Amino acid sequence: MSKNVLEVKDLSVAYGKVEAVSKVSIAVGEGRIVTVIGPNGAGKTTTLSAIMGLLPSSGQVEFDGSIEQVPEVERMVVRGMSLVPEKRELFGTMTIEDNLLLGAFQRNREGHRDHLETMEDVYTIFPRLRERRLQAAGTMSGGERQMLAVGRALMAKPKLLMLDEPSLGLAPLIVREIFRIITELRRRGVSILLVEQNARAALQVADYAYVLENGSVKMEGEAEQLRNDPRVIESYLGLASKHQEMLST
Amino acid sequence: MEALRIISDEHQSLAGILHAVRFMLKEVAAGRLEPDLKLFKAMVHYLEAYAELRHHPKEDVLFKYLEQRTAEGKEVLEKLAVQHREAPQRIAALEQALAAFTADPSAFAGFALAFERYADFYRNHILIEEDIAFPLLRQHLSDADWETVDREFRAEMQANSGKDGKHEDFSALFSKLVECAPAPLGFGPRPFND
Repeated sequence: MSKNVLEVKDLSVAYGKVEAVSKVSIAVGEGRIVTVIGPNGAGKTTTLSAIMGLLPSSGQVEFDGSIEQVPEVERMVVRGMSLVPEKRELFGTMTIEDNLLLGAFQRNREGHRDHLETMEDVYTIFPRLRERRLQAAGTMSGGERQMLAVGRALMAKPKLLMLDEPSLGLAPLIVREIFRIITELRRRGVSILLVEQNARAALQVADYAYVLENGSVKMEGEAEQLRNDPRVIESYLGLASKHQEMLST
Repeated sequence: MEALRIISDEHQSLAGILHAVRFMLKEVAAGRLEPDLKLFKAMVHYLEAYAELRHHPKEDVLFKYLEQRTAEGKEVLEKLAVQHREAPQRIAALEQALAAFTADPSAFAGFALAFERYADFYRNHILIEEDIAFPLLRQHLSDADWETVDREFRAEMQANSGKDGKHEDFSALFSKLVECAPAPLGFGPRPFND
C-alpha cells in the first residue's frame, strides 16, 4: 500500500450561507490516479480550489506529510501541488515556451535551476509543444491548450497534479489522447487527482474513485469496483453517456 | 473484471475514430476541409485491423465464457457472432468505396454514405455489447472466470502491444491519427504520411 500524498478530512466550503461542499474526505496515494466524478454543480471544482487554497474552507488538508490548517495557494505550489484549472488560464499573447517557463517561476524563485531539463521532459511528453514553442498560445486549438496547461503544471515538478475537467469541450479523439497522457504521467510517478464529468473516461484510467453529489461524497471505492457498480452504471456510464460519446458530431 | 475495462477502452478508441471520420466527411461535404485521402485510409485501416486483430478475438473469448455459463444470452450472442463474422465484408465494402473515391473525387458521396452505414452498424454493435452482453457477463461469470479471462487479456495486451516491432503498434497509430486530424478533432491538420 503506497503512502498518501494527499489526505483531506471533512473539508467544507460555503458560499455565504450555502454550503457547496460538506465534510468531504478524500485521499490520494503516491503514484496513483484518483478521480472525483459527479454531475455538474456537485462541488468538484470547489473541492479542488479549496484544497489548493484558492477558496476559504474548514477541515483539514494534509499534503506530503504536513497538515495545512489553512491552505494558501503560494505555499501549496512551493510544496509541490499543481492545479490545471478547467479554463486552462494561459497567456494567449505569450509564446508557448514562455507559458511553460511561467510554470517554473515559483520553483526558480526557490533557487532551483533545472527548468530547462524539466522543459525537455515536458517536450518529450508533448512533442507538439516543442514544434510550436515560439508561437503565441492564443493561436493553439483547444486540445493543444489543454496540453500546454498540463505541461505548464508539470514545469513545477509537482508531487501532486490536480486536473480539473481536462476533457471539457474536447473531441473524443483528443480526449482519448489526453487520458493516454494522464496514464503516462502516472507511469512516470506523478500522483494525480482528476476531477471529471466524463466518468466513463475517468474510471478507465483511475485507480480509486469518489462520487460527489450535492457537495458530499456519496460513494467511493477502487475504480474497478465503481465501474461495475449498477448505481454508477445507471447514473454515469449508462446509455446516455455512450450515445453522447458516439453520436456527438 | 479488468477484461471489461479493456474492451470498453477499445470501444472508446473505435468510437473516437468513427466520430472523427464522420466529422471530417461533413466538413468535406460542406467545402470547409480538403480531404486527406491517406488520413481517411489510415483511419479505415485502424477500424479494420484494430477491430479484427485485437478487439473481436478478445470479445469472442469473453462471449464463449458467457455461453458456457448461461443460456440467457443465447440470442444476443448469436447476433453478435453473426456481426463479428460479417465485419470483414462490411469493412471491405467501406474500403471499396474509399478506393473509388481515391480514384475519382466525384465518388465522395458514395464513400460518405458507405461510412455512415458502417458507423451506424458499428455504433449499434457496441451498444448491444455494452448494454446487453456486458450486464450478463457481470452477472454470470464467476470470480474464477474473471481471474482467468483477465489474465488472458493482460497476456494478449502484452504480447500484441506492437512495442516489439512484430505486431502493429495501434497505440502509436492512434496518436498519429490524432496528430494529423484537423482541429478541433485532433492537433492538425497535417498530412498523414505512412
